[in-house]
Amino acid sequence: MQIFIRTLILGIASGSIYALASTGLVLTYKTSGVLNFGYGALALFTTYIHWSLAVGAGLPVWLSALIVVGVIAPILGVFLDRQLFRPLEGQPQIISVIATVGLFVLFRGVVDLIWHGETKSVPSLFPPGVVHLPGGTVIGKDQLGVLIVAVVAALGLGAMLRYTKIGIAFRAVVSNRPVAGLMGINTGYVSGLAWALGTSFAALMGILLTPSLLLDPNYLPPFIIAFVLGAAVVGYLRSLPLAYAGGIFIGVAQAIFIQYIRSQGFLGRISDSLPFIMIAVAVVFAPRALRQSGIGASFIVRTREIGQRASKETRGLVAVLFFGFLALVPILFSGSWTAAIYNGFVYAIIFISLVILTGYSGQISFGQTAFMGIAAFSTAHLVQGAHLPMWIALVLGALAAVPAGNLIGFIAVRVHGLYLALMTLAFAFMADSLFFQNPTISGGEGGIPLKRPAGFHGPTSLYYLGFLLLIVFVIIGLNLRTGRTGRVLAAMRDSETASRSLGIPVTKYKVLIFGLSAFIAGIGGVMLSFVLEQAGNRSFIPFLSLIYVAVAVLGGIFSVGGAIVGGLLYGIYNQLAGYRLLSWLPRYQLILFGLGATLALVQNPEGMFGELRRAGAAIARAFDRGARRRPREATPIPVAGGQE
Amino acid sequence: MSTLLAESVTIRFGGLTAVDDATIEVPDGGFIGLIGPNGAGKTTLFNAIGGFITPTRGRVLFQEREITSMPASARARLGIGRTFQKLELFGRMSVFDNLMVAAESAESRLDIVSDILSLPRRHSEEARCARIANEMLEMLGLEWARERRAADLPVGHARILELGRALCTKPTLMLLDEPSSGLDSDETKAFGQLLRRVNEEMGIAILLVEHDMDLVMDVCKMLYVLDFGRSIAQGTPNEIVKDPAVRAAYLGEEDNETAAAPAER
Repeated sequence: MQIFIRTLILGIASGSIYALASTGLVLTYKTSGVLNFGYGALALFTTYIHWSLAVGAGLPVWLSALIVVGVIAPILGVFLDRQLFRPLEGQPQIISVIATVGLFVLFRGVVDLIWHGETKSVPSLFPPGVVHLPGGTVIGKDQLGVLIVAVVAALGLGAMLRYTKIGIAFRAVVSNRPVAGLMGINTGYVSGLAWALGTSFAALMGILLTPSLLLDPNYLPPFIIAFVLGAAVVGYLRSLPLAYAGGIFIGVAQAIFIQYIRSQGFLGRISDSLPFIMIAVAVVFAPRALRQSGIGASFIVRTREIGQRASKETRGLVAVLFFGFLALVPILFSGSWTAAIYNGFVYAIIFISLVILTGYSGQISFGQTAFMGIAAFSTAHLVQGAHLPMWIALVLGALAAVPAGNLIGFIAVRVHGLYLALMTLAFAFMADSLFFQNPTISGGEGGIPLKRPAGFHGPTSLYYLGFLLLIVFVIIGLNLRTGRTGRVLAAMRDSETASRSLGIPVTKYKVLIFGLSAFIAGIGGVMLSFVLEQAGNRSFIPFLSLIYVAVAVLGGIFSVGGAIVGGLLYGIYNQLAGYRLLSWLPRYQLILFGLGATLALVQNPEGMFGELRRAGAAIARAFDRGARRRPREATPIPVAGGQE
Repeated sequence: MSTLLAESVTIRFGGLTAVDDATIEVPDGGFIGLIGPNGAGKTTLFNAIGGFITPTRGRVLFQEREITSMPASARARLGIGRTFQKLELFGRMSVFDNLMVAAESAESRLDIVSDILSLPRRHSEEARCARIANEMLEMLGLEWARERRAADLPVGHARILELGRALCTKPTLMLLDEPSSGLDSDETKAFGQLLRRVNEEMGIAILLVEHDMDLVMDVCKMLYVLDFGRSIAQGTPNEIVKDPAVRAAYLGEEDNETAAAPAER
């Protein structure tokens, strides 16, 4: 009984931290319309600042915590709201979701840059020692302290919302933002304040959690995202009290799991993915109106006039020159460039799997690493265990990812936009913690050997293999868009209701397109494993799914061309650092990609490829000035969506 | 033989009875109007016919085949086309592609493999569907807008496009939900002309839910009037105008905002 009470108190203590943070998340979401997937990275960043002040500069721990939570975090929150999310207002929800992913990548990069990504131990705010509770239960002072701080903060927030004028304005905006705006409430001010509060709670969460968890840039942000989102979906991201209750529930459930189900096997891994199981359950059983709230998930892009495009012949010529150049790379450049560009091919293929989902179909996936991992480990086992030839194993392995994609597609029929993003992220984490972290599946630290196909062992031959596969998937991607399937996908993206009214089997197409995306990502996963000749779980950590989305958006999420630009950029990035002038690049990698993705969304949603194309069209026009543009010849099949 | 028969349809939402034992029949090639004051249950009944709501009681027959609980996309494949009160165009696609999607949905089967590999089969099918779409473009008088984004069309043309898109699926019955909303009187007239052509030249049966009485009186051969979910009258436009129950429903209560509906354009 004493053990149970102790477990319960421990659970409530950590639960109230999750509760506080998830309340902050929901508060920001409801007032500004932005669900912050970068919440964990904000907590990470602010906690590192706390560490620098308390340990580095030697300030008293309490003072440092006060400065971070009370001054730095709120300023950061207001800044993000003003500079990033206010300009994105009115855009579809999915845009701001991806922007927060960019934010996540960005702050993760800042931590790498300033603190070299080192793990730190953060001092506790509370004295050591234990307290004896009546009834004989013993509990650590720090745990009691955490509980008190979290409860006091929650009560403070509750009192503010309940009794102050600004609190009433808050609740008005939370319950109905447009109407609150009409009633003369300055919704911008309120959302800024919500961001300040939300960021403060993120900082507080990091500061309270890290003394027992360690400040680890790889572990903390996903951990926080998992628990905070898990708690927040309990109230379907709209109810503050339910979000709070959800946090307590997760904390207690986790404590009980740890206390009573100690097994290290499958059950132990289930405990890790508890929040994601909660997300999955909550999302699948959410009321219809909520699940489909993100129905406008399609991007509204300021597509430029079709006239701004270079002629078909010019574009064909550019493509031929570009691919011709790529074909010569192993002859013209050193081996390290060859290897780097092979990586670029692999990422381009992975990004094509995102382009057909997001760019063509208006769907979203934060779970591509799951498909990649399933394919890579399946292929490796088929070669190792069943001794299948590499080529057959490669195709079978990628096919193994298809049912997983189909499943997500089936879910995507019921769940839209934001909830789909949550669901796919949960899927990636569950695949990771349930399967990829299981040594019998993934071979543990060393991974499973995955030899390159016979005849492609050398770097040059591997390069051409990648080149060939890229061309195959580029052609598939282009054919897919210009054909009937592409038109149907675009139609579903613009209006599912109308698609149904024309007899289009929406469910079938979603299942199909997620399956195809999983297959392409799967091929990418196997090709990635060829680099080190092993399938290892480090290549498929869920965090990478978010980076992939960010870089794909930076390159251009709407076209195969964008995928190639993004893929090559990501592949050769570190290679560029070989030049002395560019040697600073690696340190800024995540910062640049994160910032690039968010800026792309604000400035030009078509990304770098859009910019390149615009520049290219301008040059082409300068060349054939005078030669009047012929009217677009009567090709019967113009491109879908009116954009490249 | 009738194209559509909605028989004794009752639809309840909780305690509210939106449609109460209503029966509507659309004969082959018929042009039927469904009118009634606001809140009479027109749209609810319409949605039950279109497959977006399942009736609590009663059944819906299409060409003597029961479709009461068939999903919307399956009904479309049987030959029921529809338009929406709130425009549902594929906004980012070109006008031509809007028609093309519809033509392909009716004409060709899902075949992603020949799409991806760009097989000859795909191109012959595309050429066939493009012909249908081009003919439709011509009939609608929208050739000038061929490559425009559908979202950039003015409402009048957008309504016409939405109608044409549904026609591309070669329906035998068209369901039109308040097509005149957002149109001025000239546009409404032109739209009425187009509807008449669709009905008379193409032989497509039409069920029209409409507020604009001028349009309804002008084009419909037969009207049903709903009030408080019940079918209170049916007959030719001339009979309906004289029907005392209808006059009471529309004009009976001065405080009813819908009293103005018949005069509204």
